[in-house]
Amino acid sequence: MIELKNINKDYGLTKALVDVSFSIKKGEIIGFVGPNGAGKSTAMKIITTYTAPTSGKATIGGYDVLENPLEVRKLIGYLPETVPLYADMLVKEYLEFIGAARHLNGTFKQRYDWVVDACGLGNVLHRQIAVLSKGFKQRTCLAQALIHDPEVLVLDEPTSGLDPLQIIGIRNLIRELAHEKTIILSTHILPEVATIADRILVINEGQIVGDGSFEELRKKVTQRNSIYLAVKSSKKDFQSAIKSISEIEDIEFDDNVRRGVVACHLFSKIDLVEKLNELVREQKWNILEFQPEKLSLEDSFIKLTQSTNSTPEQTESANVSSADEKGGAK
Amino acid sequence: MTDVKIIFNREFKAYFYSPIAYVFSIIFIVLNSGLYMFHFFFFGNADMRAFFSQLPLTLGLIFIPAISMRLWSEENKLGTIELLLTLPMKIEHIVLGKFLASFVFYLVALSGTLVIPILLVILGRPDFGPIIGGYFGAILLGAFFLAVGIFISGFFSDQIVSLIITSVTCGFLALIGWQYVPMVIDGWFSGLGEFLYNYVGVTRHFNDIERGVVDIRSIIYFLSFTALFLYLNAKSLARRKY
Repeated sequence: MIELKNINKDYGLTKALVDVSFSIKKGEIIGFVGPNGAGKSTAMKIITTYTAPTSGKATIGGYDVLENPLEVRKLIGYLPETVPLYADMLVKEYLEFIGAARHLNGTFKQRYDWVVDACGLGNVLHRQIAVLSKGFKQRTCLAQALIHDPEVLVLDEPTSGLDPLQIIGIRNLIRELAHEKTIILSTHILPEVATIADRILVINEGQIVGDGSFEELRKKVTQRNSIYLAVKSSKKDFQSAIKSISEIEDIEFDDNVRRGVVACHLFSKIDLVEKLNELVREQKWNILEFQPEKLSLEDSFIKLTQSTNSTPEQTESANVSSADEKGGAK
Repeated sequence: MTDVKIIFNREFKAYFYSPIAYVFSIIFIVLNSGLYMFHFFFFGNADMRAFFSQLPLTLGLIFIPAISMRLWSEENKLGTIELLLTLPMKIEHIVLGKFLASFVFYLVALSGTLVIPILLVILGRPDFGPIIGGYFGAILLGAFFLAVGIFISGFFSDQIVSLIITSVTCGFLALIGWQYVPMVIDGWFSGLGEFLYNYVGVTRHFNDIERGVVDIRSIIYFLSFTALFLYLNAKSLARRKY
């Protein structure tokens, strides 16, 4: 459905996209993740024909974005990051304008009723857009993207600025649409991608650095297993006892525990669960905590983006944004 | 053509969403008529020469830039340009729809000044040739300045910047038709002033039409420049693509 081949995009001297290629099948839901300024929006602008690529070829539904932009635009419903709305219009007028511009004529009434219901706009139809809350603005704009029942939905940060309940609403709506449409959504909120998307594209500094399902991406960045263990013991006894497991490569002690308790992260190439169990039984330790650790989506995301970039500034921004998301997602 | 109509409808209505349209129309009519009335009572002639002679400058400096400034600058500021340019419409149709909306709005304001010829008919026996010619010229002149204005507004997201730059450009086009200005320019660069006066300035062409001398070259001058700037506007937006 969507095919990008060797796409480059330069803004003057800055390279926004470097040799980006991917293809998306009909009916797939793609999560586009990456730190701010990584090129997510640029890629989306190329797909929606708003921006022309500097070089490379992009086709949507078989139509080239440069040669046949009008055909491409007919296929796509687009929610830009900036949430473009005519502030002076009423919600109803705005949707009518988009409906007319999309040449819906006969089917308009039916589609209009559907989007008003699906986006929960029933109570604000006669309100001026300028006075709407952020959430309603976002939903009005989403309604605009859905009104012509497009085959491809391009959603640039569809849930930014929404409260948790609204986020769930939008997420459900996307899931509902998933079966019939090809959907690309970019987001900062990583758990969102993990729950909705079939496939995740991680982009950093204009390059695709990860492509696959959430599990595949996690495997790609996780080289070793890790287990968190907390037992009642003295550190000295613990250290001498743990040496009997030769496969342990690294131990990181956690000092934030009360006296008489030893806690640590144990790293190894193999699965340590059984060997540790044996050891615990032998030593008759009282277990307080025993937890195999999996890399969170945030961690994998940071790892993926860190492995390609070098400047500390960007790494930091990745960290900061993922920290925000943890907060924002709760 | 339906696309042009859809854009036209939205744009024309947009002028009346804010009180600016009403304020603007009233100021346009009052100021132009007011400036004229001074001449009318002072010289007591039943013609509109004074009205039309000041028109290129008042239109170019204030009124046209005020109408055209929002056409693209507002879209740039609100980000709606991204929406507009990803609709299945040709950019040329969007430009034409926007231009026509501003043009019709201008015609509505201009029609408000028709009270002057009506007054003249009541009070005296005016010569209709120059009056009709004057309005015809005003329509062509307005279209040309609006095309310049819409072209300029495509480059800025701040309406005030669009207003000032359009005002300077149209004001210049009007002023180089006032013999004094090309004379000064000729003093700096011999021949440049005369060239600008003859080929670029609007006032000379406007005066021809307004005098009732409908020269086909003047009409072609206005229409071709209007078309040129509309074309450039469409091209600049299609090319900008950032």
